[in-house]
Amino acid sequence: MAENPETDDTIETTKQNQSEEEVEHSDEQKQEDELRSLLLSDIGDLPLSPPSATQVNFVSYFITDFTKPGHDQYIYRHANGLCVIGLAPTHIAFKDEGGITNIDFNVGKSDRSVLKVSGKRKKNAMRSESNTALCKVSTAKDSYIVRCCVKGSLLEVNERLIKQPQLLNSSADREGYIAIIMPTRPADWTKNKESLITLEEYKAKKEVSL
Amino acid sequence: MSDESKPAPGGLLNGLETQKTRRVNEAARSLHPSAVKDLLSLGVCERCILRLVTVTATFDSDLATVSSSTLRGWLGSGVEEAASPEPSICIVCLGVLQFVFSDAKQTLVKSDHVAWITDLVKQQGHEFDSFVLEVSLPSTISENERAVLLYLKGKYSDEAWLQSEKVSVKDALKVLVLDPLRASLGAKSDSSSFHIRLTYSQASDEAQGLSETKHERKKRKTDEENGSNCMSENPFKKVSEPCILSVHCNKMPIFFGGRYFKYSRNVSQSRWIIDDERMGEASVEEIIGGSILPACLGDSYKFHAAGREDIDVRMLGSGRPFLIEVQNSRKCPSQQSLTEIEEKINNSEKKLVGVKDLKFIGSECWAMMREGEAEKQKQYAALVWISRPLEEEDCNSVSSMKELKILQKTPIRVLHRRSQLERERTIHWMKVEKIKGNAHYFLLHLCTQAGTYIKEFVHGDLGRTTPSMGSILGCRAEIIQLDVTDVKMGDS
Repeated sequence: MAENPETDDTIETTKQNQSEEEVEHSDEQKQEDELRSLLLSDIGDLPLSPPSATQVNFVSYFITDFTKPGHDQYIYRHANGLCVIGLAPTHIAFKDEGGITNIDFNVGKSDRSVLKVSGKRKKNAMRSESNTALCKVSTAKDSYIVRCCVKGSLLEVNERLIKQPQLLNSSADREGYIAIIMPTRPADWTKNKESLITLEEYKAKKEVSL
Repeated sequence: MSDESKPAPGGLLNGLETQKTRRVNEAARSLHPSAVKDLLSLGVCERCILRLVTVTATFDSDLATVSSSTLRGWLGSGVEEAASPEPSICIVCLGVLQFVFSDAKQTLVKSDHVAWITDLVKQQGHEFDSFVLEVSLPSTISENERAVLLYLKGKYSDEAWLQSEKVSVKDALKVLVLDPLRASLGAKSDSSSFHIRLTYSQASDEAQGLSETKHERKKRKTDEENGSNCMSENPFKKVSEPCILSVHCNKMPIFFGGRYFKYSRNVSQSRWIIDDERMGEASVEEIIGGSILPACLGDSYKFHAAGREDIDVRMLGSGRPFLIEVQNSRKCPSQQSLTEIEEKINNSEKKLVGVKDLKFIGSECWAMMREGEAEKQKQYAALVWISRPLEEEDCNSVSSMKELKILQKTPIRVLHRRSQLERERTIHWMKVEKIKGNAHYFLLHLCTQAGTYIKEFVHGDLGRTTPSMGSILGCRAEIIQLDVTDVKMGDS
């Protein structure tokens, strides 16, 4: 495949000016060439499909049949402790015709989408237990409660889902995430972890190929 | 009566010296005689007496030329203690103005005080041509002085010399010691970045003579308020031990600046240790600072950089500006040595870090740092993968986007330690460079506003950065690796 025509043009123009300001330009050119060779030499094997940012930076956990059969959720935990919560591909909501049509964060005592967390210390964050309700997703047929699964502070909910609930159908594991929770104490997470299963266990259990 | 206008014994003195001693002589003889006798019998030293009883508030270096014993002679004889061979330690200044002190081991120092101090300064190894003298004294000295003045007020109330402001022990010591020290060290004593501190501290816990307990101080204060000026019950106790003098030298921090390059994807910018384990193979801070510190013979160093990059991001192009601050350096390396250090780092076997333009920086250092900060633009090259093949149209649409505004929510990877905010940033320009033989990968060159999270701009951070590379191209995008190619400074 040809080199980017724009880059070629730039190099040509520089060479033309060389006659006038030879030394300065050839120095600059040398630096540019060095830079380019550094950039290109570092490109090693290019796999067809590299691991995604989520796969690289997070550890995936799942919980199945949480409080009700078919309520399967994922918990992606980052190295810094934060947990991204969402619907696992085998959640029964996806089985309904037409998929998820609506999401409502006004459950329990407050509207989760309204809370604003401030500062580094995350003041005003709602404290959640693992079975605290997060939101309600509705399909044409029924509605289902989604719960936190993790004990900690609720840092944010994905408000984009309110206007675009179809994100849940198309990419529940990325743009369709539901919330981010920060476990308050390492001890809380360790205890939580006991009820979760790994990606391998999840695949085996659900006999799903992901 | 001896002719006291004759010069002091001990050798020839030039005309100026004679003038000085004559002035001191006159000052000594003008003092209130019975006050002087009183203080001498209490155990106050000659220089303190001159300080406290004189009318004029000057206590100049003339006094340095006159020895204690000579001064004693001029203040008047007829006191029994004048005969004693070893004068007792002054109850006010605790021997400070008598140049009587102990070393750290609490042994009395017999040698000349200026020579002793000079030795200790030289031992610390600093190169200097000027110094600033600092003195630290125990607080009991001012308490002692207050008690003695109170006593004098009680006995000689309303005398003129009582009303005038007294030169403090600290100022008196500085005046006495500065000139000889200047001569002995061969240095000036104007404003300087090199400080010599003389710290006097009391040897034991015993109440040194006149120092009050808290209770006594309260009682004295209320007594004074009530109008009674009676002295505390304690007589003036003798001082048994002199103070311990320690000499400490400190040079203000010096700065070196330059630009660094980071060629490795396993080297952090600053020392990074979690749970006793080092993250990454090395750090830029330690490689550069660790080379400069020994050349300065300093105590420690601090590393400052104009911005930072992740451990897995290389710093190429024109390099990133940095400063090394060295505490208490003993010598300043020459430009030649700095060049050698720079070459050594650049030619090292592992080639993890590079340095350019390493030089000594003066007070303009912070201005230099600010140049590389918030308002400045940064340039990057990112290796991007997309889920569908790249098309010609993509290159055009991307290059045509100028000053693209993006909204970034705090990335999840830093959300645990930064505020939850939505930040607006600008991508000034972008350029797609295709890679031979692979339609799913390309090199993205971009120039952005400072503070932009590039990785999140490419992969979208679960939709929390909009627009992202993925949303612009309408597919999934991942960032494989990132390099910083330019940190723009000023107009360069």
